[in-house]
Amino acid sequence: MASNPQDWLGARLPRKEDQRLVTGAGKYLADMVVPGMLHAVFVRSEYAHARIKSIDASEALALTGVVAVYTGAAIKDLIKPMPQAVVQPNLPARYPTFWPLAIDKVKFHGEPVALVVARDKYTAVDAAELVVVDYEELTPVLDPELALLADSPLVHEEDGGNDIFSMTLTGGETEEAQRQNAAEVEAIFQNADVVVKERFRVHRTGITPMEPRGVLCEWNDGDGLTAHITTQRPHIDRLALIDILDIPGEKVRVIAPRDQGGGFGVKAPFYRENIMIAHAARTLKKPVRWVESRYESLMNVGQERDQINYLEVAASKEGKLLAIRNRGIADNGVGTTGVYWGFVMPFLGAVEMPNAYTWGKGDISLKVATTNKASLTPSRAFGHFPTRFAVERAVDMVARRIGMEPSALRRMNLVPSLPYTSVTNEYYDSGDFLKVWDNLLAQVDLPKFRAEQLAARAQGKYLGIGFGCGVELSGVASELLVPMENQPGYGAATVRLDPRGKVLVFGGDAPGGQGHETTAAQVVASQFGISPSDVVVTTGDTGITPFGAGSIGARNGSYFVSAVANACGELKDKITRIMAHDFQIEASVQHFEFKDGEVVYIGDRSKKKSFREAVERIIMWPVNMPDGEVGGLDATTFFEAAKPMICFNADCCIVEVDIDSGDFKIKRWVTSEDVGTLINPNIVDGQMHGAIVQGLSNAMFEEFIYDERGQQMSADFEHYKLATAADVPDIEITYATTPCPHTPLGTRGIGEGRPSSVPGALTNAVCDALTPFGIEITELPLRPNLVWRKLQEARK
Amino acid sequence: MPVINVTVNGTRFEETVPERLLLVDFLREQLALTGTHVGCTYEGVCGACTIHLDGEAVKSCLMLAVQADGHEITTIEGLGGDKLGALQQAFTDNHSLQCGFCTPGILMNMSDFLRNNPNPSDDEIRHGLVGNLCRCTGYVHIVRAVREAARVMRDKA
Amino acid sequence: MFPARIQEYVRPRTVAEALAAVARYDAGEAIFLAGGQSAMQAIKSRMLRPQCIVDLQGVAELKGVSRDNGALTIGAMTRYVDIARDEQLTGAFAALRDATSHVGDRQVRNRGTIGGSVCWNYVAACTPTTVLALGGSMNLLAADGARRSVAADEFFLGPLETARRDDEILLSVSWPAPVARSGSAYKKWGLVTDALPVIGVAVRVSLDAGGACSAARIALAGLADGAQRAPLGEARLIGSKGDEAAIVAAMAAIADAAETHADMSADAEYRKQLIRTIGRDVGLRAFARARA
Repeated sequence: MASNPQDWLGARLPRKEDQRLVTGAGKYLADMVVPGMLHAVFVRSEYAHARIKSIDASEALALTGVVAVYTGAAIKDLIKPMPQAVVQPNLPARYPTFWPLAIDKVKFHGEPVALVVARDKYTAVDAAELVVVDYEELTPVLDPELALLADSPLVHEEDGGNDIFSMTLTGGETEEAQRQNAAEVEAIFQNADVVVKERFRVHRTGITPMEPRGVLCEWNDGDGLTAHITTQRPHIDRLALIDILDIPGEKVRVIAPRDQGGGFGVKAPFYRENIMIAHAARTLKKPVRWVESRYESLMNVGQERDQINYLEVAASKEGKLLAIRNRGIADNGVGTTGVYWGFVMPFLGAVEMPNAYTWGKGDISLKVATTNKASLTPSRAFGHFPTRFAVERAVDMVARRIGMEPSALRRMNLVPSLPYTSVTNEYYDSGDFLKVWDNLLAQVDLPKFRAEQLAARAQGKYLGIGFGCGVELSGVASELLVPMENQPGYGAATVRLDPRGKVLVFGGDAPGGQGHETTAAQVVASQFGISPSDVVVTTGDTGITPFGAGSIGARNGSYFVSAVANACGELKDKITRIMAHDFQIEASVQHFEFKDGEVVYIGDRSKKKSFREAVERIIMWPVNMPDGEVGGLDATTFFEAAKPMICFNADCCIVEVDIDSGDFKIKRWVTSEDVGTLINPNIVDGQMHGAIVQGLSNAMFEEFIYDERGQQMSADFEHYKLATAADVPDIEITYATTPCPHTPLGTRGIGEGRPSSVPGALTNAVCDALTPFGIEITELPLRPNLVWRKLQEARK
Repeated sequence: MPVINVTVNGTRFEETVPERLLLVDFLREQLALTGTHVGCTYEGVCGACTIHLDGEAVKSCLMLAVQADGHEITTIEGLGGDKLGALQQAFTDNHSLQCGFCTPGILMNMSDFLRNNPNPSDDEIRHGLVGNLCRCTGYVHIVRAVREAARVMRDKA
Repeated sequence: MFPARIQEYVRPRTVAEALAAVARYDAGEAIFLAGGQSAMQAIKSRMLRPQCIVDLQGVAELKGVSRDNGALTIGAMTRYVDIARDEQLTGAFAALRDATSHVGDRQVRNRGTIGGSVCWNYVAACTPTTVLALGGSMNLLAADGARRSVAADEFFLGPLETARRDDEILLSVSWPAPVARSGSAYKKWGLVTDALPVIGVAVRVSLDAGGACSAARIALAGLADGAQRAPLGEARLIGSKGDEAAIVAAMAAIADAAETHADMSADAEYRKQLIRTIGRDVGLRAFARARA
């Protein structure tokens, strides 16, 4: 039992979630069974772009056990189409109209066309096969640059163009200001000693979670709809269901299951399937459950990145970065996904492009093209995996041009003191980038490595070292989230004490493995001087939790736990006010210590109560109270930082490249992290390990592939390959933290953007190893095939 | 419809099953043992469905329930008994799980692995884990926990 | 996702029972189920829709490894894991351990069988390629009692196609006693660890008393036509001492002539390079084992 209340902050506490999860007692969506539950299966488009001539469900309906088949035509007048304001950004874009099932046309391979509901899931699959859809194939639009040309066929005819979104992120609000800025940037490029100009391309990949999606809807006419959804944002989903299905708000409750098998952004959008399952439950007045197959998942969600960045960097011969100019082209897919519409990701990617460097000036613009592919859906390192790759590679290329150590060039250009506003107007609130960088360099003996590298080269062995870094979101402030997603960014927590001194915490976000039950409990335990085992954290149920925008953008460590801490603070104020009154002393909260399960008056330590006594008195026996004070101990607080917040991390990796096969092996991966105050180092370590391996897996192995007809070729794990344990190295995490001055505990939200610096660091290491050959790699995936091909080209 | 006799976690069952019912669905839905998970469609690559068939780790999604007739099955619910086994304890101590979806499959696989490899190197552990995909942890803490559990089990033996 | 309806599940105790069960159905409607690591994928995706499953797990005579003065017979239902652990598989048969110890993952190896793999003959698979290089014979039994032994060169006809008729069952794979100074090896490359081979190379060589190569068989996995021999390379090895230069030249000849294709895993030129690099490693190891 900790004697110092601060001990729970920073404690490597085993997680409270683990007892149930290591014994198979977790409860995920697919584990939920309700009496009378029906099973739903979607019939999905076989073509990337086609007209639906007819749908014949008669054979399916005739199968014993089949209860209903829904088609687009049937639901068109019963369900409101998108867009709906609550899941539509406040950004100027073309927002295609769509229903949850395809109407008249299918626009990507895998799009939902019909919904079959049956008494058991095997029958539902049998029936889905029997639904006959007659298609007239149309030419698919598959290349984002061609899609933006005037003569391109349109994906959404009524939109008038495939340019779903475009924006200039620098230079100001008006066209005049932007033009002026662009001219100034051009002048810098004209006069610069060094200009690196490259086309960087990152493929379509993303962070598909191990648990696919699922929805279980229950309906009765009295209570209305209870929707269990694998979602990161139950409160938003609820609002969308209310608006789209026209159900009064008091009759809609959304519950994210307590256990979710990962989200990583993939479970953040508001999906069409949610609407259809709710509609089925309502019309059939029976519970309906849909459990997504991996096949559906790989065809519909988790596809992100997929950007071309025409990047130019201007620098002085001393290594000072002078300006950045980028033309980004993102392949959006169809974009028919609520909240994000695909383009919000590349939007944020362009905003985050400047990374941790002082650029002087920037001219960054983005065009996002609609194509006949699955819509982009968020993936950890939301939108900026490709832009970060481009910048980290370009910085290395500048260093190589000048003959400077890439790590030294980076250090010279890191933002030296915060707060800082980037050329895209992104606000970096706090942190010490140089401290993080120097800590990273302390983990590696660079001169020694360079000597080893030289000696190895003489033996025909090719070692390389690569660096990368990333400024990442620590939560998403309302000032960013409202325009970007039409949602608030505040963190909200209810902290409720019970008469036995136990604590209930309620939060409206919905984690999928980040350990919120434990970290929030540690914060509460630290605040009240009790044990984390006395604290129960409940998330994800809109019926009982305060409004939360969701588990997105690293909101937990930044916004949620801050709200928890502040709520505890309010309760501590009340407890100590009443205690002071009871002891007849003049004192307030700073005169009391909450420690070891007791509340002790520091001025006279004989004046104390056990935490339980103090609490029980206020809840159960609220008599002889101070004037104006009533009983009860329950606080709901909302936390909003004054300005958007960030965290910062840096990577270094060492590789060995086999020049005969192009194969490369990571010999070492070491990091330096500013995560602010750590609540649970085990959990933070785990977040970093997971993020880095996700980055490696995306960079090397995972690729969503569409053939020339837009057919998806990567809809199973034989083709879409995730890294196994044997494919990735051990990872060393080190810390160089600066407490965040804007959160009550100094914590930062971490882990969301973390994968973004990985592909740059890895590719930099491979290129560094191949310096004798002058190889520069500007595209992903990074594979032996590519390395070998580059070597062949270099040798010619 | 076939009737199968199968022992699951020490309990004998006599159950009627359709010929085509997958073993993983039999366990999850007919026996309500939902600790074994399904993470892929037909490919049998993710390993979340791993159980013991007569003490050896196999993927229950690549078997039909009828094939289990006459055999002994152990699922995650039967791994530790009343207390956490060495592996489960090591996973908890080392933060070797986050979302927990892949965890039962990994525990079942590693339990069999350690029986065959009581003193494994990290490389051997990583190779043994090829049949289990994990998205959350990056495998680092998993390898650490397996190593620790191996030591604990060797010390006990 | 889930199999189509299956009418009947049979678990015979003898090969005669197994064959009789299949015979009750039209050709292709009843299938033998061995380890199921390939067949169940096809059944779940409904690529295969068998009316009847004949599960061979109970047929004792299909299991086990037997030796007779150096001749080797491996029962069709022998699992990868058991072959991988068999320390007597050395020299000419060492490649069998190389291949089976890296198929899929350990869960797959606990179920998958040599017979199942050989009869499935997936387009890019380790075991058929290795059996082809080692020159095994597939011992088949028909429903009418007729037995025949089909040499590997005649057995593997193309992706998912073998010489086994629907009314035949594979009993075992066998080899005569190898000559002295024989060695074999197998290695593959895939995008992730132990993935299906983008390219796999199996080599079996024998040396004469002077240490020169008297016989060579090379088989490739990963080409579009499935497991196949590489006679160009074999001819180069014969007469050589199995030095690196000779091996590299042999593999280069194979690579240059090979009809490689491009897919999501690798382009055509890289497949050729893999033949060279993997081929060199495998060739060196096979010769080293022959000399040991």
